[in-house]
Amino acid sequence: MTEPLIIALPKGRILKEALPVLARAGIVPEAAFSDEDSRALRFTTNLPGVDLIRVRAFDVATFVAFGAAQLGIAGNDVLMEFGFTEIYAPVDLGIGRCRLSVAESSALASGDDPRAWSHVRVATKYPNVARAHFAARGVQAECVKLNGAMELAPLLGLSPRIVDLVSTGRTLAENGLVEVETIAEVSSRLIVNRAAFKTDGRVVDWVAKFRSAADAAA
Amino acid sequence: MTALLPEGLRDRLPPHAEANASLVATLLGVIAGHGYDRVQPPLVEFEESLAATVGTTKRELLRFVDPVTQRTLALRSDITGQVGRIAATRLAHVPRPLRLSYAGPVLRVKGDQLTPERERLQLGAELIGSDSVAAASEVLGVAVEALAATGLTGISIDLTLPDIVETLASHVLPQARIDRLKALLDMKDAGAMTAEGFASWLPLTAATGPLATALPALRAFDHAGLLASRLDGIEQVAAALGDVRVTLDPTERHGFEYQSWIGFSIFADAIRGEVGRGGSYRVGDGEAAVGFSLYVDGLVDAGLGATTRRRVWLPLGTPVETAAALRADGYATVAALAASDACEDCTHRWTPAGVVEEA
Repeated sequence: MTEPLIIALPKGRILKEALPVLARAGIVPEAAFSDEDSRALRFTTNLPGVDLIRVRAFDVATFVAFGAAQLGIAGNDVLMEFGFTEIYAPVDLGIGRCRLSVAESSALASGDDPRAWSHVRVATKYPNVARAHFAARGVQAECVKLNGAMELAPLLGLSPRIVDLVSTGRTLAENGLVEVETIAEVSSRLIVNRAAFKTDGRVVDWVAKFRSAADAAA
Repeated sequence: MTALLPEGLRDRLPPHAEANASLVATLLGVIAGHGYDRVQPPLVEFEESLAATVGTTKRELLRFVDPVTQRTLALRSDITGQVGRIAATRLAHVPRPLRLSYAGPVLRVKGDQLTPERERLQLGAELIGSDSVAAASEVLGVAVEALAATGLTGISIDLTLPDIVETLASHVLPQARIDRLKALLDMKDAGAMTAEGFASWLPLTAATGPLATALPALRAFDHAGLLASRLDGIEQVAAALGDVRVTLDPTERHGFEYQSWIGFSIFADAIRGEVGRGGSYRVGDGEAAVGFSLYVDGLVDAGLGATTRRRVWLPLGTPVETAAALRADGYATVAALAASDACEDCTHRWTPAGVVEEA
């Protein structure tokens, strides 16, 4: 097997935190990788057997699930949303920490009792997680799928509530929203393709390296 | 008229339909060579009897009401269970071990993310009456030999212990926690395991990979010796496989819901996901059995089973005896129906002077 391994990394927030983890595991990407303006999609590293791709967070999971990339870094928010059965998440990298929460406007929250809900409408990037979360407590959720700027939905009357990632809570506060429920604590995981994990010895070795890299940082 | 088919269904055209048939013949030929006799259960059964067999969940079954009896019927989604039913009833009196094979289409209500196909061609072999190390070794050996005969390369076997968590945890955890632990182990979700208080089980996720390293790691985790006999069995089964690459993943659960002490998945080059799977299980009133099954469609998609038959063009007026002789020689003959006919995909042409190759 001479094909290089491909590690899929998410654009944006997590990428900055992921680079030190990669470095501790011994992977240093080529210079163009950290250049936001670079239009390249696939990058080499200091290791001839390892290439990197930079894609949207949700697409990292898809690339890995289908075996197009053997390894990747993704938050458990993404894993929960897709429920891909072909992905293992053997290492918690402890980066990209935040939480997936339900939020609503402070005006609504002041007179609201979540125990009495039977139906909610929420705007979210995570319709599957949101639906499952509310269903588990007997609430039917009508989900409006948005890909960003969730905070606008309550402001403009699209939906009274949102389900979104919260790290410091500043964006929520600036838009007059408050967190009313936490659905899950989120952190980034090393994910691997199931078949690659079982058939490609290099993948098992990399999992071990990332495990010690994560332990060293903890 | 449009040719739109329902989601997950497709037409198999030449040469793939032919490849499909030739793969089935190759695989069943090897299996038959080991003394497995073919059975052919029906495509449709009463829903309750299908749902009662191992490996079938009601959710997967496409159901409808029989206009004659008004009873609910269902299309099979798995043949293993039907073979188990046959072994436990109509062939209950036949001496054990009983070796049976099968091939046929199955249908499920919904495809999954990696394989959206709803109709698939399932093929397999079941050994009923024993789930010993020798029985498991035989079944795995037959599976590997049959797949190798199709030209599949890079075959590797992933062994698992489907009932490992129950064996280790049944005295220390309530059932609900065991189910949750199994789900997390299945995804090897290290983060969630730590968060939910299962950190002491993490070594199980690390005891995976090539057998040479994973087996000692698992033996170290099994300090109470609860798994000793199972692990010895795994070691012997792996040894019997010879030079096939063998890995161990003790907590794999994908599709191993009904297996007992041993389960296995078969992987190979050029195939996404697994080629086939199998393991030990129980049929009828708890009779031990071990078997494997695979879906032929994946092999066809990987380009296997292609047959390259020489096609010879017979112009109008070619003698009937000549045509028969050519077919006996292994040619496929394509006869002209009218003088103006031509053959575009013929490799040869017959002339009164003999067969010549087409340019």
